[in-house]
Amino acid sequence: MSQIGARPVTAPGWTANPKDGIAIVDCDVHHNFRHPTQLLPYLSKFYQEHLLDQGLHLGRYPNIPIRSNRVDLRGRVEEALESTPKNSGGDPRDFNFTLEFLQEEHLDVWNIDIAVLTGPPVFYGYSGVPDPDWGAALCRAFNDWTIEHWLERDERVVNAILVSPSDPPQAVEEINRLAHRKDTVAVMVPMGTSRPFGNRFYHPIWEACEAHGLPVISHIGGGGGATRNVPTPVGHPTYYIESRMSRPYVASTHATSLICEGVFEKFPNFKFALIEAQQMWAVPVMWHLDTDWKAIRDQTPWLKRLPSEYFREHIRIGSQPMHEPEKPEQMYQMLEMLHADETLIFCSDFPHFDWNDPVTVFPKLPEDLHRRIFAQNALDILRLDLEGVN
Amino acid sequence: MARVVVGKVSEIPPGKRKIIVPFRGKAGIGVFNVDGKFYAIRNICPHKRGPLCTGELTGRFAADAPPSTQDATLSVDSLGKILRCPWHQWTFDIATGRCLVDATLRVATYPVKVDGDDIVVEYDG
Repeated sequence: MSQIGARPVTAPGWTANPKDGIAIVDCDVHHNFRHPTQLLPYLSKFYQEHLLDQGLHLGRYPNIPIRSNRVDLRGRVEEALESTPKNSGGDPRDFNFTLEFLQEEHLDVWNIDIAVLTGPPVFYGYSGVPDPDWGAALCRAFNDWTIEHWLERDERVVNAILVSPSDPPQAVEEINRLAHRKDTVAVMVPMGTSRPFGNRFYHPIWEACEAHGLPVISHIGGGGGATRNVPTPVGHPTYYIESRMSRPYVASTHATSLICEGVFEKFPNFKFALIEAQQMWAVPVMWHLDTDWKAIRDQTPWLKRLPSEYFREHIRIGSQPMHEPEKPEQMYQMLEMLHADETLIFCSDFPHFDWNDPVTVFPKLPEDLHRRIFAQNALDILRLDLEGVN
Repeated sequence: MARVVVGKVSEIPPGKRKIIVPFRGKAGIGVFNVDGKFYAIRNICPHKRGPLCTGELTGRFAADAPPSTQDATLSVDSLGKILRCPWHQWTFDIATGRCLVDATLRVATYPVKVDGDDIVVEYDG
């Protein structure tokens, strides 16, 4: 790690600099393969044939506009479109295809000290394929491809390894296989599932995470959420913009389930981040869960503390896409209600259209709060051992 | 009134643009040729300061009623005259600088004249 903390931003038109001396840990950076055949060398012979024969057909919301990526990178988009044959299963919408692209367009521009790779949301459907062995094979292949082409070439880049929550034994195997690597800093499970994450079905995964000191980073999308499963309790919304508004329900259901099923009593060192699902949903979860727990705690007497205390100690919230409140001062009120000094972790969501840059996402913050949101809260949960960061 | 020659007419054919950086500040301006008429607009988005003039040109999407209404008309017009910021997709009228999604916002625009082969951008100051 050479120089820690922000250097002047080199983005066009910028005059403001991030705070000196404060690192930026970006907990949501999407990387992708250009074409599924890039995974072939990392699949067993059996699953190579599977991919060649069947292609990669992963469920996702069908009406996401092509500009789900930033079009100021458009030369790269056109290149991606041209090099991605139609109906090949390749998806140019997540076009962060190479480490060089990530370095040039993001890490160097914004002086990102640590970037946690979270894989492409268009791939998250691996968690919803009917054949769990195929889902697990895809995770293994993607993780190995990531290691070779990204992780071993830039120490700023670390990994949230993909595992499929739909088959816990194979997820545990994958965690055990890769946990020894220094660049494995978290475990990624897509938020779209068939049952909430507190369910005992998943406990072996959380147990393995805790044993290795790895947090979970769960991103919206995948087997359900906004794609395959119905993303709301009342049916499918019609437009993509509506499906985005359903994300808080998904996140708050998972957070509530993790708390109420006693996951954090069972695994007291386990941390769980829910990202790209908005933020303010967490406030009623904390407030109202406390109110209701006081009245009906006899049903869940294994909870020894207020639900909000489990939330603040164990659950983390991604900062992107950040709310843009009506009045600027409401941002400070939101951050206070969220206990952002404990719960919020910075996520850019590079290279998507709804990304947040690290400079304008918040108004001027008190230095300690700034440090916590942009670095310390993430460093406290990620399995990172960095000297000199903050 | 100051005048700056920003290029030759042949440099910016219809549908194309040229970004001039710097121009009265670091962000610069974009000069666009829309069907033979030139427009100049500041290259910074008032939302999150994205590089506005590197965005796509699009149109005005309109509907006189929800599509579930009988005889509802869905339309797109002014194609090529609406600039969409590349970062968060906010749209701006290239001629007026007015933001289509937030009436309180407007990006600075500058008069453009053609003087022989020269494209000339004018500003006060």
